[in-house]
Amino acid sequence: MKVLLTVAVALVLQMALARFAIGGRWVFDLVLVGVVYAALRWGPVAGMWTGTIGGLLQDALGAGVVGIGGLAKTVVGVAAGVAGAQFMVARPLGGAEMVAAATVAHRLMVLGLFAVVDQDWFGVPWTAMLIEAALNATAGLVALHVTDRLPGAVRETRARRRPSLSRRNW
Amino acid sequence: MDRTRRTLVVFLALSFGHVLLLSVQVQSRSGLPWLQAATFGVFARVQQVTDDLSNMGRSFWSNYVALHGVVAENEALQMKVLDLEGQVQAQAAIASQARELERLLDLQQSVAAPTLSARVIAGDPMPGTMVVTINRGSADGVETNMAVIGHAGVVGRVINRPTAHAAQVQLLIGHNAGAGAITATSEAVGPVHGGAGTPPLALDYVDLLRDVQVGEQVWTSGSDGIFPRGFLIGTIERVVRGSGSGTYSEIAIRPAVDFANLQFVLVILAKPVGVGGGA
Repeated sequence: MKVLLTVAVALVLQMALARFAIGGRWVFDLVLVGVVYAALRWGPVAGMWTGTIGGLLQDALGAGVVGIGGLAKTVVGVAAGVAGAQFMVARPLGGAEMVAAATVAHRLMVLGLFAVVDQDWFGVPWTAMLIEAALNATAGLVALHVTDRLPGAVRETRARRRPSLSRRNW
Repeated sequence: MDRTRRTLVVFLALSFGHVLLLSVQVQSRSGLPWLQAATFGVFARVQQVTDDLSNMGRSFWSNYVALHGVVAENEALQMKVLDLEGQVQAQAAIASQARELERLLDLQQSVAAPTLSARVIAGDPMPGTMVVTINRGSADGVETNMAVIGHAGVVGRVINRPTAHAAQVQLLIGHNAGAGAITATSEAVGPVHGGAGTPPLALDYVDLLRDVQVGEQVWTSGSDGIFPRGFLIGTIERVVRGSGSGTYSEIAIRPAVDFANLQFVLVILAKPVGVGGGA
């Protein structure tokens, strides 16, 4: 359930925000951020399923070959989950670094798969890839930070609130 | 079987499934229409809702918060309207002269195809695919392969099967997009394709001997059966002669449409001529 929710939120956000950046320099992939988030939070299995479902949905909603994004994101999801467990990536900053590394790996994999399927090599757009890595890392940092802080903030707000009349000690 | 081994088996099975899926499409190069239609059918509704919410937020901001300087903007707009009205009248005069000439020459009058305005409600699902979603679909008369234009020029074409109230548009700047084109002065004819780098459009198969100039406008030729003749594609930004194969010029085109700021488009409701369906 949490995997489906992560994919749905990431995909809706991606499509809602991407309409303001069509054909421009601001390239980002929030579904990939969701995949790495799931892998770091819930392990390689969650990363794998988020990658498969998210990638296939992205492929199906695009105009190209279905499966390229799915395969790349599945591999990235598992790798991020395994690496996250190995290196104990607990802090949001470490998670953001993981998102940046995953972005580069994912983009290279997608380009490679396109080259194999289309029999055509477009070259590596390094600038666009680095911008995407930076934007994805920022989104990952925000997501990890917010979800880290949210339970504590809710607890603090509840503690600060005055008790209701029924529970008040007279 | 322990947990790690089970994960490995599932991972290998999923990867094999993906490879199988890819190999099925390598021959046809048409994607999986049924999966694409089903996914788009589900997400089109979600996109509509998120677009409505985003418009509510934007409308609240522009109508209540960001009203500073609106008087000055209003004056500037009034001046612009005045200027445009003058231009419209001049164009109307030219058009009436053209109609008179057509009548005199007994030519068939050029009939403009009906158009339908649409709003862009979602962007690229995956970076680089150059596909947007519009809020018009089959219930409005939109069909696969219909041409889509903006106020400045050609935007792209409708791909996949539209749902009742949404359709996907492949932008002309995408890797697999293209259109038949003709240059304004040198009348060089060839296909324009997207994904060419910076600028993102390129005109192919133009003979080296053609005197194509930088700054020349490029229009649709109508030869592709999708885009009617006479719509602006862009302006030639670079011409390189004698590179590559040595038979053709390398021509780079800056698109007329600002794709980074695409909000409203027009769908030309003319059925494409001699073009197969699908993506």
